[in-house]
Amino acid sequence: MSDSYLRFWGVRGSYAAPHESHLGVGGNTSCVEIRSGDHLLVCDGGTGIISLGEQLMAQSELRELLVVFTHYHWDHICGLPFFQPAFSPAWKIKFFGPGDTAAEIEQRLSDQMKAPYFPVEIGTWMADIQYLDPQNRGLAHGPIDVSYYSVHHPGVTYGYHLQVAGKSVVYVSDNEVQFLKTSIAKRIHEFDADEHELLERMVSEQRCAEVSAIEGVDILIHDAQYTPHDYSRKRGWGHSCYVDTVNLAIDANVRCLYLYHHDPTYDDEQVAAIHRDCLQIICERKSTMECHIAREGMKIPL
Amino acid sequence: MQIGKPIIVLVDDSAAMRAFFEQVAAEAELAFHAYASAEESLSFLANRQPSLLFLNVMMPNKDGYSFLKELRRHELHATTPTVMISSKDYAQDRTAAKELGVLEFVAKPISKKAIRLLIEKYLGAGHHSQ
Repeated sequence: MSDSYLRFWGVRGSYAAPHESHLGVGGNTSCVEIRSGDHLLVCDGGTGIISLGEQLMAQSELRELLVVFTHYHWDHICGLPFFQPAFSPAWKIKFFGPGDTAAEIEQRLSDQMKAPYFPVEIGTWMADIQYLDPQNRGLAHGPIDVSYYSVHHPGVTYGYHLQVAGKSVVYVSDNEVQFLKTSIAKRIHEFDADEHELLERMVSEQRCAEVSAIEGVDILIHDAQYTPHDYSRKRGWGHSCYVDTVNLAIDANVRCLYLYHHDPTYDDEQVAAIHRDCLQIICERKSTMECHIAREGMKIPL
Repeated sequence: MQIGKPIIVLVDDSAAMRAFFEQVAAEAELAFHAYASAEESLSFLANRQPSLLFLNVMMPNKDGYSFLKELRRHELHATTPTVMISSKDYAQDRTAAKELGVLEFVAKPISKKAIRLLIEKYLGAGHHSQ
């Protein structure tokens, strides 16, 4: 096994789903570990980060990590109050996420740890905590280069582009692909014929932006929450239909796609059916892209 | 007091959206300035207040919320009339825009007719021709 790897600790979207019928895929919410030698980067602090924290406390080689948050919806931060390294003076932890200042990032993370919602505040964290000042678009954590961009989800939400061990990894947990295109289709009657060309340009601009953000990456971890049927009822909730996700990844020449942020109401068989349909789409489009279900506990060498 | 033509500023990385506004402005009695980014728009906004600012939310480098927060900290733009525009149409975004004191949050796509009506609504009738 390479000393660089990626591991899924939480793959569910919206809320945890610890049901027997779901555990083949996993019940914990968003959390991905990226390890390169003695450097550890964690994407999101959903309930998956709790088990990661337990494992980190059981070893002694590593005492430092960076956690980057895509945004501050509960399913991405609710494991943090139970993340044991934060309560240990032996650890040094850096946090980063959307916000104009380090103080704003601290406020977003600390707001969930207040009475009456939680018994202790972040003042009880004994680790050496640092909130990174978002002055630049790029961050570096040892050999891991990190950059980020805004994605289509309520509030300010980031996608992260990581360069690690010679591989490019993009983590986009929450993103509603093709939203403007469908908005235009729904409201086309409001526009005169002479405006249609500009609308086509808008759709093209949006597609170019979506594709260029993930163009040619080795690994894409992307929101694929809904079936077409459910998306038709939940358009505007900030998540993608898997059909749009797989087509975007093919268009962008992604090497390997991991379907992520699984809907908590879908059991193992429903997620497997989504995967089979994605493979069918890839086959029909004559693409060579690999596509997998992101499963809790899955470890991928980099 | 505003002297002369009203000044409309648009900050949006979408060339197509800028083209929509440019076509409206070409038919109107107003001065129009369009910029592709927050940074570019400072060539105007650093020293001047527009009559109405249209500001996109999702842009590379600096998003519309961060930029408006920065502008609001300056006396010149503490009350600059602003309409937020976005391809996003989520309740959380409408709330974030409202907290920054915007006049309105308008979801894209926005027709030329809708742009004319917004200008008329906030600057009064007579600043456009049909």
